[in-house]
Amino acid sequence: MKESISSRQLGVLCAVSIFANKILLLPSLLYENAKSDGLFVVGLLFLVDLLILFSFFHLKKKFPVQSFKEILIYFFGKIVTKVIFLAFAVFFMFKVFLIYSTSFIYLKQQVYQGEFAILAIICVLPVINHAALTGLRSMARTIEMFFYIVAFGFVLCLAISTLTYKSSPLFFTSSLGDFASTAFRHIFSFGDYLFLFLIIDKVTLTQKDKKRVLKYVFFAIFLVLILFFLFYSLYQITAFMHNNALSDILIFSVVFNAVGRIDIIAMLTIMFLAIFQMELFHYCFCDAFVNFLPKLNKIFAIVTFDIFFFIVYLMLIGKYENMVIQVEVWLPYLTIMLNYLLPLLLGLFSFKKKSVKNQQIIPNDEEKREEKGMSEEVKI
Amino acid sequence: MPFLNVKTEIAKIKKSFHMGCDFGERLLTKEQGTVGFVYLKSMVDNLLFSQSIYLPLEKFEGDLNATVLTNKVIQCNDVRQIQESEVVDCILKGGVVLIFQNGDYLNVDIQKFPSRIPSEPPTSPVIQGPREGFVEDIKTNMTLLRRSIRSKDLVLKSFFVGKYSNTQVVVAYIDGIADKSIVDKVCQKIEKISIDGIIDSFYVLSFLQDRPNSLFKQIGNTEKPDVVSAKMLEGKVAIIVDNSPIVLTVPFVIFEELQNSNDYYTNHHYSSLVRVIRMLGMLIAIISPGLYLALELYHYNLLPLNFLITIADTAQGLPFTPFLEILFIFLLFQVLYEVSLRLPSYLGLATSIVGALILGDTGVKAGLISPPGVIIVALAKIALYTIPEQASQVSVLQVIFIILGGSLGLGGLVAGMVYFVNYLNTLDSFGTPYLAPYSPRVPEDLKDGVFKSPINDMKTRPKTFKNKNKVRSK
Repeated sequence: MKESISSRQLGVLCAVSIFANKILLLPSLLYENAKSDGLFVVGLLFLVDLLILFSFFHLKKKFPVQSFKEILIYFFGKIVTKVIFLAFAVFFMFKVFLIYSTSFIYLKQQVYQGEFAILAIICVLPVINHAALTGLRSMARTIEMFFYIVAFGFVLCLAISTLTYKSSPLFFTSSLGDFASTAFRHIFSFGDYLFLFLIIDKVTLTQKDKKRVLKYVFFAIFLVLILFFLFYSLYQITAFMHNNALSDILIFSVVFNAVGRIDIIAMLTIMFLAIFQMELFHYCFCDAFVNFLPKLNKIFAIVTFDIFFFIVYLMLIGKYENMVIQVEVWLPYLTIMLNYLLPLLLGLFSFKKKSVKNQQIIPNDEEKREEKGMSEEVKI
Repeated sequence: MPFLNVKTEIAKIKKSFHMGCDFGERLLTKEQGTVGFVYLKSMVDNLLFSQSIYLPLEKFEGDLNATVLTNKVIQCNDVRQIQESEVVDCILKGGVVLIFQNGDYLNVDIQKFPSRIPSEPPTSPVIQGPREGFVEDIKTNMTLLRRSIRSKDLVLKSFFVGKYSNTQVVVAYIDGIADKSIVDKVCQKIEKISIDGIIDSFYVLSFLQDRPNSLFKQIGNTEKPDVVSAKMLEGKVAIIVDNSPIVLTVPFVIFEELQNSNDYYTNHHYSSLVRVIRMLGMLIAIISPGLYLALELYHYNLLPLNFLITIADTAQGLPFTPFLEILFIFLLFQVLYEVSLRLPSYLGLATSIVGALILGDTGVKAGLISPPGVIIVALAKIALYTIPEQASQVSVLQVIFIILGGSLGLGGLVAGMVYFVNYLNTLDSFGTPYLAPYSPRVPEDLKDGVFKSPINDMKTRPKTFKNKNKVRSK
């Protein structure tokens, strides 16, 4: 299997993919309308995300070796498949923009103390371009290598923050309407497991492997929920003013000031996580782009991404509020369609169909891709 | 029976050697016939030639033919009949070729040239364990390996590479442990080498690597026979090159550089500690100058106040920016290093004094460089030698991370780290991932990773690369 990754690597990708703005901006954004019940909003949306994961497992069982493109064509035909891949490309591109925007604002405030636009682009773009170009395997291995360090940094931040824990936040203070509207408005911050469908043919999953993946997923969800809980405990009234949750929960840890600002751990953790998430979603964008326009190869996808990146950067990035206002209008709908409707439809259809084991639905699809120089293993 | 004019034949061979001054020729004419001897005086044991070949032949009364002489007269081990086409090659390899009137040729291998006695290699000294090191003579090196692994399954395949140098290259592996596909790939790559000469094993290394332009070497190298033997017992393949004391091993993973032969001859707890220190040393060497610059230029508020005041005090009045200052000190250290390598040893002390005391101390006092800058670069340069085999690669990385830290701050350093790890993950050595067993994670092989288990716990051979017969001990 080309570009295949192990179940451990898949688990690590699942864990890493749910961080980024969930540990920076989202806690304060959710607090604005749902108050401390933002914790339950996150819990609820994570539950829905888990449904995607299980629908992926189900699809993988039905189609053990087929690519996502083959599965989509099998169910919906070629034209609809193209539209879906276009939607995927747009979704993942904006996910990268959102992550970049969030971490950009954070780094500007906390690390660089001023304007550093061009520096941030120089830091991020070549790295994520390189990762997308070299393929899933090397990217997954890189993330796997750093995962334990990053997870340790995350856990350390939470552990230090518990030292300043005073009392639990007040729950059930928001109305059901506020709760629902908050969940809908910020639904685009979830649905990260969509990437799983694009790499469905690049992983082999046994029952044991699924358990391993779930272990990583629950570990990551647990960490995020703990962070929300600690954050709302610490900032019971002013949470909406604190845009950098992971970093801000460390502020009162004065005992550590002797060794300098302890939030450097949070900064490094966020930097690594943001880059990894952007790498993964950029890869997904390229994959969706190449499937949408099969005549073009990955290099074209990367160049297209970079061009859009600069355009969107000039218009929106750096002003997260603008970015959120713009994407709030349409991204939740796209998210619901791709993250919830599509997996649901695929799940329903696949229940009706028999398993397609070891049988290529579209003959020579992989060969065609290789002929066009779209092989995953691009050597630099 | 063909009749050969031996004298004419000798003249012909001599001509093919361009009448070289070290070309040796002798003619022995007896009643039974004439025998010619051709050899290179600089390549053979002249005493052995006289005592074991020429004198017994002079006294011999029987028929002068190759078979009789091989069995009864010549008192050497390595005697064989050869074809006319092999004559030049045999002479070049240190043989004496006997030419008979009946058209027979006999090669007697009595090569002798100056060779070092195996001694402790300067690059890998040990506190405990074998102190022998490889030498330039390939035969001695093969002997050292054979002495370590006294098994008929130790296979030594010979190749001759280089249009002019005709250098012997030997591929060594243990049949039954090494994977055949790796052995075949190595042999194919060596056979394909087309070059005028192989001067050192590094020449072969360049041809064996899948990505020769990469900063990172994808082939292991060592001067110690015990290391090569241990690696062959894991299933690796060794490549010995004549005239080089460095033996290459494949497949190679970067974490091999963390391991030292000493680790296997001392307590495993201590070995683990030393490996952690080596890894930290490597990290310090790569990122500390860049990190110092990033903190000083962009993130000074991350530093403890007292440290910040010290830096601010020392940096006052410096003519250079911090970025140029670190680059200047780095350059100074690199120049001193290069000089100390090439200067005769009796000048080494003087260089150290000039470098460390006069340039460093006076530079600080004159207000050209700051003490923290000197300390950071010195620390990075010293830490570099926790893994001396990687010194050249890490020196380049230091410069890259100085530029990243100085121009992009912490973000640049993080991005640089991710980029390089991602790049390393694209490399492989004969099908083995370069960062294994950590990326991809192979839990079974972590027993000999940064933390080392005792030898009796390592019951299986590494899974990170292909090998046969996985069981090492029961």
